Parts: sequence; C-alpha cells; structure tokens
Amino acid sequence: MNQEKGDASTSLPNAGGSPFGWFCDPRVYMSIAGLLILFMIPVFSGSPFIYHVFVTIFLYGALATAWNIVGGYAGQLSLGHCSFYGIGGYTAVLLMSNYGLTPWFGMLVGAILSAAVGVAISYPCLRLRGPFFALGTIAFLEVFRLMATHQKGITGGASGLIVPLKIGWQWMIFRDKFPYLLIAMSFLVLTLIVTLIIKNSKFGYYLIAVREREDAAMALGINSVKMKIYAVIISSGLTSMIGSFHAIYTTFIEPSAMFSLAFSIQIAMFALIGGLGTVAGPLAGTLLVVPLTEMARGWLGGAASGLHGFVYGAVLVIVVLTLPAGIVGRFGGVISRLISRLPGAKTTCVPVVTAVEKGSHEVVKIGQPILVANNLVKRFGGLVATDKVSLELREGEILGVIGPNGAGKTTVFNQLSGFLPPDSGTVEVVDASGAKVTPKTPHAFAGAGVGRTFQIVQPFGKLTVIENIMIGAFNKHPSADAARRKAYEIANQVGLYEDCNTVASSLTIGGLKRLEVGRVLAMEPRILLLDEVMAGQNHTDVQKAIEMIRRIRSSGISIIAIEHNMHAIMSISDRVVVINSGSVIAQGSPKEVVENPEVLEAYLGEEYTHAQVA
Amino acid sequence: MDIFIQLLINGLLLGGLYAIIAVGLTLVFGVVKVANFAHGELLMVGMYAVYLLTKHLGLHPYVAAGPAVVLLFIIGVAIQRFVIQPLLNAEPEIQIFATVGLSTALMNLALLVFGANMFSVQTPALRATLNIGEISIVKANIVMFVSSLILVSGIHLFLTKTYLGRAIRATSQNRIAAPLMGINVNKVYMVTFGIGSACVGLAAALIMPIYTVFPTIGTYFVLTAFVVVVLGGMGSIWGAFIGAMIIGIVDSMSGYYIAPDLKEVVYFIIFITILIFRPTGLLGLGKGSE
Repeated sequence: MNQEKGDASTSLPNAGGSPFGWFCDPRVYMSIAGLLILFMIPVFSGSPFIYHVFVTIFLYGALATAWNIVGGYAGQLSLGHCSFYGIGGYTAVLLMSNYGLTPWFGMLVGAILSAAVGVAISYPCLRLRGPFFALGTIAFLEVFRLMATHQKGITGGASGLIVPLKIGWQWMIFRDKFPYLLIAMSFLVLTLIVTLIIKNSKFGYYLIAVREREDAAMALGINSVKMKIYAVIISSGLTSMIGSFHAIYTTFIEPSAMFSLAFSIQIAMFALIGGLGTVAGPLAGTLLVVPLTEMARGWLGGAASGLHGFVYGAVLVIVVLTLPAGIVGRFGGVISRLISRLPGAKTTCVPVVTAVEKGSHEVVKIGQPILVANNLVKRFGGLVATDKVSLELREGEILGVIGPNGAGKTTVFNQLSGFLPPDSGTVEVVDASGAKVTPKTPHAFAGAGVGRTFQIVQPFGKLTVIENIMIGAFNKHPSADAARRKAYEIANQVGLYEDCNTVASSLTIGGLKRLEVGRVLAMEPRILLLDEVMAGQNHTDVQKAIEMIRRIRSSGISIIAIEHNMHAIMSISDRVVVINSGSVIAQGSPKEVVENPEVLEAYLGEEYTHAQVA
Repeated sequence: MDIFIQLLINGLLLGGLYAIIAVGLTLVFGVVKVANFAHGELLMVGMYAVYLLTKHLGLHPYVAAGPAVVLLFIIGVAIQRFVIQPLLNAEPEIQIFATVGLSTALMNLALLVFGANMFSVQTPALRATLNIGEISIVKANIVMFVSSLILVSGIHLFLTKTYLGRAIRATSQNRIAAPLMGINVNKVYMVTFGIGSACVGLAAALIMPIYTVFPTIGTYFVLTAFVVVVLGGMGSIWGAFIGAMIIGIVDSMSGYYIAPDLKEVVYFIIFITILIFRPTGLLGLGKGSE
C-alpha cells in the first residue's frame, strides 16, 4: 500500500513534457530494466532447467498478478481461482485436439467462457464475507474438478489428455525454449500493465473504496456489486488465458492438476507474501518463493517430494505473522523513495488553490421542494423506528433535524439515502434535469444528487486524505487527474489542505468529520445530508463546522443536518424539524420550535414544562 | 426397500464420523471466530499418531485414542497461542491465510516424513459385520456413531453446565465484555482450540481401523466438515450433528442412486445453495455467513 501513498503527490500530469516523457520517470525505466534483467538471465545461462524455472516464475507471477485484481484490489479472497485456469486449459486443448483450432483462438474462447463463469459464480457469492467467500470459491472449484473427472467422454477423465504435438507458432508449441519464455514474459507484462491501469483509474480507486468500507463507498454513488463483478471478469479472463498457455506448455492436462485446490492456494499465497493490493507484490512474492523451492528440488531431487509445499506453507505462516502487509507493502515505500531520487523524477506539484473568501454569505433564495419524504414507516421487529415521517427540503434551504437520542433521526436519514428501504412511504428527489425520481439504492440516490455523511465516521482508513476525497470526485470527474485537482480544491474548502497526504486513519475526530463532508462534497451533490458533523467536537471545531456549512449552502447545495448542538443548529437552520419516538412532533422556524411546549417536554421532561407554567 | 434402509443406516453411521470432525471445527469457529482450514490436517496428524502407536507400541487403536486426544489438544493449544492469538485483530483474510499456510505445511511435512504411501491398521474384529436380517453393519461404524453421540452430548453439557463452558459461551458472544467479567479470553481461546482439535484426535482413533492414512486425507475430510458445519449453522454444536447426519445420508444415497464419483458434487451443490440462500444454516442455528 505504501507505493500507492507515494503516488498521490507525484503522478500529476507533467504538462509540456515530450511524448516520451513518461519514459524518463525513474519508476518506469527501473521497472523495465528489472523485467529485462529477469528475461535475460535464462537467455544468457542457456540451461533448459533455468529456462523452465523462469517460464514458471513468469507464469506464476502473471497468475498471482491476475488473482490480485480480485483478491487484493477488490478484497475478495478467492481460493478457487484454478476454476478459470482449468477452464482456459481445457478449452484450448479440447478445441485444438477435437476441431484442429489454434490454441490462440481457444485461449480467447476460454477467456470469454471463464469471464461468464466468473460472473455466474461471483454474483451469488459476493454477498458472502470472509471465510465464506473463500469456501464458496473452493466448493465451485471442487465441483469443476469432479465434473471434469466424471465427463470421461469429453475430458478423458482422471487419466487426462495429451496435447497434440504440432509444432509452430500457430500451435504454441516449439522445439526451442525461447518462444515459451517470450510468451510467458508477455503474459506477465500484460497482467502488470492491466493492474497498473486499474490502479490509476477511477475503477481502481472505487475497488479500494469498496474493499475498505462498502457503506461509505455506496454513499458516494459507487455500485459495489458492479465494481466487484468487473474485477472478477478481468481477473478470470486473464487467469484463463494463462491457463490455456500453461496447458499447452506442459503438453498434458488432467483434472487434478488443472482444477487444483493446492495450486489455487499457491497463487493467492504468492500475492499475499508479496503484498495484497500492490502492483509489484504478486511478482515479488513469486520471485521470492519459486526459485527457493525450485532450487531445493534441483538439489534434493525426488527424495524431497513435499519439500516445496512445506516451504510454501511455512513461509506463508511466517509472513502472515511477521509481515502481514507483504514484502512490497512493508518495503515498497522505502524502495520507491530511493528510486524517486534517480534522475528524471517528477517533483511534487500541487495545484495552487486560492484562499476561500470568508463571510460572503449572501442571502440565498429558497426555492421549490427538492426532496420530499412521504409517510416513511420503518419497523424493526416490534419497534416502530419511524412512524409516518413526512418532511420536505426546499432548494437552497438548511433544514435542521433535532430530537432526543433514539428518536429515529438516523433511521430517517438511512431511508432518505437508500440505506434502509422504508416499509411504506416514498422518498421523491428532484434530479439535476428537474425531473422527479424515486431512487431505491444508495448509488441511485447518489446518482440523483443526494450525498450523505455518517454519524460514525467512515473514512477509507488506508488511503490518504486526498485519495479519500478523490473517490467522491470521480462521480463527476472520471479521469484521475481531474478528480485529483477537484479533490485539492475541496480539501482547501473543508480546511484539510495541510493534511492532504496524511493517511486518513491518523486524522483527529474533527478532521475525520470534515473529511467525511469533503468526500461527499467532491461528488458535487445538490442535496447534502449531514449526520451530526459537530458531535464530539470542541468549540473552535464547531465554529469551523458552522462556517463550512454556510459556505456549502452559499455554493448552491440544499442541506438537511441532524445535530445535537442546539445553539449551532438554531443559528444555521432556516427551518427545524423535531422528531421524537419516531414521529415528527413539530416543525417551523427555529424560534417557533424552541417555544413549542411539546418540544420542551420531549427534551426536558413533563415536570419541567409544568414547572415553567407554574 | 432393503437397499434403501441399508443405505440409510450406512449414511447415519457415516454421519457419526462427520459429526465428530465437524463439532471441533464448528466449536472453534463459533468461539474463536476463525475458520480453521488446517482442521483436516490435524485429523491426518492424529491418524499417523494412532498408526505409529499401534505399530510400534502394539496398542489397540481405541486405546491409542487417549494419547492421540492429548497430543491433538496440545497441538491445538499451541496453534492458538502461537499462530491465531497474534492475529486476533488482523483482517479475516490474514487469519484464513495463516490456517491455510499451516494446512499446506503440515500436509507436505507428512509427505516428506512418510512419503505418499498409504498406511492402515489391521483390526479384523472391527471390520467384521453385524448382520440383522438383510442389513449388515460394520462394527467399527457402530462404535463411531455411539461415540459421536456421547461426544456431542458431552460438549453440550460441558458448555452449559460448567463454569469454563459458560465462560467459553460468554466469550463467543462478546469478546470485549467477557474480560470485564474476569474471564481470561486468551485462556478460553486456547482451551477451545484445544478441545476442537482433540475432537479430531478421537476421530483419528475411531477411523484408523477402517480407513487408510496418507498425507492429503485431511483435505477430503475438512471440505466435508465445512459442508456439514455450514449446513448445520456455523458455530452450532447440535446443528453440526444434524448436518453431519444429513450429509452422511446424502453421501451414501447419491453414491448409490446417482454415481459414486458424483456424490461430492451433490453435497457441494447443497453447500453452495445453503451458503447463498440460508446463511444461518438449514435450521437457522448458526451465525450467518454474510
């Protein structure tokens, strides 16, 4: 993850550079040099054994890199990835031996098939968390293995299939080892480039956001299921293509090798040892473990069957206990700092942002209703959490929502943002085009222009402040550079400019609350739901928050704010709604509301009101 | 009809074996909240232990159950203390990788030490069948079934009637609140992991007379045990027992009526269906997989 952090400040576009300017970046030329060295080792040694070891390293590295898209970036721990490897292998070999089709074509057919299977498997499984997702993928893998063994007529059953020996580029079979090395290297480079593109794109940031905090991601308009499915499609397609090539390379396939649980685990293991969710991690893990075990096998021969597996297992346990972030996760930051000292490194350039004008709160005109809730009812078992709550927010307005603890304020918010479906009642939103829509899911609400914060802050803890805000900014700015520029602007607006490259989890609570607001502001919503952004803050932070909310409204956003701080909410709200025991008991201007006896009773108890009267 | 009854009885008896293995797995999952992917390899270790004890010390496999249970308890405590405990606050995937690594290491260690050969214990008396009318039952299977009933009832009584058992249940319900009530959570976890592992020590001794041991035998049993545990509801002791009976019957019926090599497909499909549509288990006794 450290590598990612380093990038936030360094990869802004280098305006006015030459078309080959990207090559002058030391991270680019050092990576290319590294890969070239790997490629040249077997070529210079000339030994078939070394060739074989490096083909294996490249293919395992490519498999682990492809796995990492789902297992690392999307955070879905698949232990059944050989389903796709096996489908790729069998498709290519069967099309070749039965229909005389070139494995290059079979590879593509296999990839499409695997992607389709991947979607079919993951659509139901993605709801499962932790060990259950892993178990689900294992179960599917076992079903594939058993079916491949059972269908003797097609797959040759347990005794396997021999790849027809036709030599030449169109059959992917060569006398010489060099073309194999070249193809294996190409797969490795392909998977690395795909990962790099994903990492620096909106899609990559969205995947990390979903992995870190699914709820917060959905509130920012991210369709989490769709993101994970895309990751599965890319990962399973790539895995399948590598499986096709590996099947041809080994010249023999059988169900227990192609749909192997042990091999699926190994692939995931390489990625973990190197560092989950990093570009270079899976390759680093492979480079550490595979040569070690291949050498051991070379020295000890057949007598040591089981040795390489033992080393894999032992290294895995040790890494998990001592370096849970993996090699790249632990040392990547140091290495990338060293590399960025080399000639050609871009200097950190941060867009200059003008200071925010203060005190320009011109009177905003209140317009037509922009969000209308009608008779929202929500029950949790016997408890009626909201009982026919109706409220409306007008354009340009700040609507305060107050009520004692447990009154149902947050439950109302969850229904106004799609996180809880109401048992009955509707929420109507006027979208950007002026049409009335009734969204149902969090990302549909976000799409209609509704943004929300959470009472309990939900930062993407491992990302920096600027990356957190970028996730919101992608909503309107699909390119990473534009999103980053927008994010700096917002960071300035919410007073986090100095903390841009701080990891979110190390902010103070006030900072986190403002980050939460900044992130949702970056989506450029037209309606903002603020859930207790002032709670638990000291007096200065409350003043900052009040200023911030006024600035937000002046920029043309309509706001509903839940707040406990009476003084603050009364001073900023145009109207106030009071909720108690799940129902609206009063609404009106702040002055009307504080004088309402029912409100006083809800807050201070019946005796107090009687005492006042007396 | 006779064949049906025969299959039913075979299934229930097989279920007894699955129950002994699955109860340990579900106990650890329910309390420590860790899915132990190395549970099958612990069974394998137990089986090698029983094999060595019978071969070199001439013990009867059932007598070897004593040392096997003690050995597995100690191994379980050690795994909890040195591998799981440092990772209690780690992300779930890290915990999974830890037990997967352990499983890979143990399996291959067995391959290094014993080779890929199969070993068995010769006890003809236990392999003999008992004939009741048309139905014939292997004696060792009866012992297995009765033991599973005693074990599951015993664990149930332990969890509900003893102080330690209550402490284990309290910890499983709230890890943060339990220490405030004076419970030593780390000790509770070690004991739980120890008991969960000791269950496969018992299973190892009971199956040695009728099965052979080889390095990868654990994978087969652990996957079946996970199917049982998910079916019965993760963390539920009686759920695991009922799940084991169901899977035992499915195993013996589908092996006969569908195809011997597809019986696992049948219960993996049941497994996937339950996982997706009924995450708290068939009877809703578990903690849910979402």
